[in-house]
Amino acid sequence: MTSRIDGPLKVTGQAKYGADNLFPDTLHGYIVLSTVANGEITAMDVTAAKSAPGVVGVYTPFDVLKLDKAVSSVFGETWVPLQTKEVAYYGQPIGVVVAETYEQARDAAMTVEVTYDEKPAVTSFTDGLATAEEPPEIRGGAPNEMSVLADGVESIEDALAASPVVVDNTYFTATQHHTPMEPHSAVARWDAAGLTIYSGNQAAHLQAEELSTALGVDRSQVRCINPFVGGAFGGKARTSAAGFLAAAAARALDRPVKVVMSREQVFTATAGRAATAQRIALGADKDGKLIALRHDSVSSTGMDRSFVEPTSHGTSREWYATKNLHISQKMVPLNIPPVTYMRAPGEAPGSFALESAMDELAIALNMDPIELRLRNNSTAPPGKDLLWSSKHLDECYQIGAMRFGWANRSPHGHEDGDWLVGMGTATAMFPGLRFPATVRATFKADDTAEVGTGGADPGTGLLTVLALVGAESLDIAPDRVTPVLGDSALPPGGLSGGSTATASAGSATMVAAVELIDQLVKLATSAGAPFEGLEVTYEGGRVLADGRSMTFGELLRATGRTELTATGSSAPGEELTKHSFSSFGAQFVEVKVHKLTREARVTRMLGVFDAGRIINEKTARSQLSGGMIWGVSAALHEGIEIEPSGRFANADLAGYLVPVNADIPDIGVHFVQYPDTLHSDLGAKGVGEIGVVGVAAAVANAIHNATGIRVRHIPIRIEDLLDS
Amino acid sequence: MRPFELTAPDSVEAALSEQGTFLAGGTTLVDLMKLNVLTPQRVLDINELPLRGIDTSDGLRFGALERMNDIAHHPGVYPVISSALLQSASQQLRNMASIGGNLMQRTRCGYFRDVNTPCNKRKPGSGCSAITGDNRMHAILGTSDACVATHASDVAVALVALDAQITLASSTGTRTVKLDGFYRVPGETPEVENDLRPGELITEVFVPKLDWARHSTYVKVRDRQSYEFALCSAAVALDIQDGRIVDARVAAGGVATKPWRLAAVEDALRGEPATVRTFEQAASIAADGAKPLSANAFKPSLLKRTVVRALIEGSRA
Repeated sequence: MTSRIDGPLKVTGQAKYGADNLFPDTLHGYIVLSTVANGEITAMDVTAAKSAPGVVGVYTPFDVLKLDKAVSSVFGETWVPLQTKEVAYYGQPIGVVVAETYEQARDAAMTVEVTYDEKPAVTSFTDGLATAEEPPEIRGGAPNEMSVLADGVESIEDALAASPVVVDNTYFTATQHHTPMEPHSAVARWDAAGLTIYSGNQAAHLQAEELSTALGVDRSQVRCINPFVGGAFGGKARTSAAGFLAAAAARALDRPVKVVMSREQVFTATAGRAATAQRIALGADKDGKLIALRHDSVSSTGMDRSFVEPTSHGTSREWYATKNLHISQKMVPLNIPPVTYMRAPGEAPGSFALESAMDELAIALNMDPIELRLRNNSTAPPGKDLLWSSKHLDECYQIGAMRFGWANRSPHGHEDGDWLVGMGTATAMFPGLRFPATVRATFKADDTAEVGTGGADPGTGLLTVLALVGAESLDIAPDRVTPVLGDSALPPGGLSGGSTATASAGSATMVAAVELIDQLVKLATSAGAPFEGLEVTYEGGRVLADGRSMTFGELLRATGRTELTATGSSAPGEELTKHSFSSFGAQFVEVKVHKLTREARVTRMLGVFDAGRIINEKTARSQLSGGMIWGVSAALHEGIEIEPSGRFANADLAGYLVPVNADIPDIGVHFVQYPDTLHSDLGAKGVGEIGVVGVAAAVANAIHNATGIRVRHIPIRIEDLLDS
Repeated sequence: MRPFELTAPDSVEAALSEQGTFLAGGTTLVDLMKLNVLTPQRVLDINELPLRGIDTSDGLRFGALERMNDIAHHPGVYPVISSALLQSASQQLRNMASIGGNLMQRTRCGYFRDVNTPCNKRKPGSGCSAITGDNRMHAILGTSDACVATHASDVAVALVALDAQITLASSTGTRTVKLDGFYRVPGETPEVENDLRPGELITEVFVPKLDWARHSTYVKVRDRQSYEFALCSAAVALDIQDGRIVDARVAAGGVATKPWRLAAVEDALRGEPATVRTFEQAASIAADGAKPLSANAFKPSLLKRTVVRALIEGSRA
């Protein structure tokens, strides 16, 4: 249990986030947003803004900051602001006012008058379901529609028709937004070496790729620095409008420029999570064995069609043993801000539907919901030969049921004074992924070591994990290791996304450490060195031979060096042809619902997770309990209200509710630790996203247990529970 | 936020002699100035004025600048007032916000707060966006075709239930009015929210002595457990003797354009046995005359349930 290395810096306000970097002569940019959802800008009157106090630049589609296509190796093309007069959503960045102070820029921005040739906006997801489109591409290039059918079965319809017990319902999840504590922001400055930009982001090297392509400069001329990131959750995977505009304005004005979005702007000028509609049909035999699983998904998307939330591909494709499976994915393009990755994209809303449906099936079968899930426990994804590398979901359920007191659950809940109390459960899964990563390890003459990579720690605890894995691999104490992250000048360190960072950077750290120790040994035994010609070993930070030993620092000093550096790389490879990989978990939730006024409040929560080896239990626990709180939030609170005009009615934290402390009980997090060395040498799988998966369903299932009311949409609110 | 002039008068007389917008805790005014909803040219910081003091010797007397938390935690304050205050806003806001300012707080209607949308309250004659828009949180009682915005205060509901009065001072003298009569329903002039005259300042809040208000409660129903406005609330005080209701005070919040006294419910309670059946019967008329909007058809039912719950809890208090 190691405390966050950067914790003291953060809680004392010393951690410098992107917008905390202020240089002499820094200018401030304020973004102007559209107030229609569809149309063309015919004019922008910036006369008042240009003559306002302190204003040095006003940029619009009529007076443009030239940006080319932004492209990165992972995300492909990313939208750049101000290059078109077309408006596709309410709250789209359409200008930036740059002034000597933030207040001057903001006040001048308020005076910009925009004239639109407005067109009718398409904003209703439910209206669009009937005419949903085929999406261009789903994660991993999987087909939009796919079936696995048992021998002799013609169609999923036949398999369902032949099932003795069938539940068939449609579930809806709300449009959401990450809105991380640190708003999207950037401080950019240019000098002879090119651009340096300070901006919270999930992968400095990908941001550098996007900025270099957009700005038309060589990749080597862009340096992205983000040692601290105030929350990202997928919403800072791509470069933000703040980043592009700060960089381009700083070049145009030849002074540093800082752009910080307001909280309200973050809701529309970045990207959020799609709304989803999911029809699930489950067919089972009387013993609860699944015969057929059909999951048809539709997600909202922006008019750019740049992202599809893959709910059935993210869940039903892999979760349960079933002989017959059919999944499909469509999308409804709307005049709404773009959608993107948001913590467990696909799995979070998908699990609400699938795990609600499993609960409904358990009730139809009069079977305990845990028993139903264990009877359909899979050894491999349906229709695939590749067995799960390491799966202990049954143990998660057994331990969870015991710790949570599941045996005390009645099929119809129980009463506690004025409250109805119920328990619910759900399965959680998240794929075990890795990205290629390179880590640089360095021995220093002062007997410390440094482990660095370009990845980011957006609050996940990666920095601490890097130190721990570095210390273990170099066989020295963690306090002698300085971890370094968040700089595109470091070797590319993967991406803090997809719950991949620990396995990716950790595996590369192990490779780098072996290489570094190898180099140290060579140095120690080289001509003129203290151990010339000897057979040496390395242990505990020392080189040993013939009963003598020297620390690596002593050795470096003795050979006249200040440091010794090696890099190591790791990437997914052959293991992908041998096994399927996932983290697993069992979620348990207890809720109470007031008999009269019907508020639903979560009273107890427990998650038991199988995520391979846990490197640092303290930060892993934070990751998972944070994810579980996200699940409560999705279940009971979060939802963007989209008006027919396309305006977000609740685009601030007063109207877009997330839980407060009073909504969240003590959260139990328990790990079953089986290192998965088939996945990577480190044995660790991801914990960043699986915490949120399944929780919303467990809440809905608990509410049903308490009240007898099945709510098939989230968020579940008081009015959903009044009629009883 | 637009540039403005800030002065800090050092006496009530000085404050009343100047023209400007009064600033107490600032939790509404500064918020709305940041949004450009309010754009005062001159702001008068009244925090140094001697409008302090909590006196519970004969009724409750609060200086208008007393902070919400200080009143809430005072031992002589009736439970319905403490409870309404403590379920309001957050600890930090309650430490800043004054009782006088609380009574003057503006609606939380999202269209009032967004200068890019029509709003009759903010810009008379521009139209009401909420009637056809996002109106789940909005009012079902006291509404008009011009405005359906909910009054946001919790403690005002408790104070109206207890027949509170406020003292208003101006350069020409002082007057005392009942809080219930002070607030106005929107009618055709939603920009006029109360009876405050130009230049007037609330200097004191007074709650008449009501011994049985020690048996009182405030129930607030909302989408999360703290730091959120009421979907529906009810303030209740009950005088129960020998199992019979001698007198009752009932008011509702979160459902009306002003703190909503439920006199008919009170009438239905008086003289009846203090039973759940009585409470249900009395509450059944709580939403009479309600006009639900497109997104809050549930509110009449929720109002009746909230009143029943408050009566039950009040009868236990």
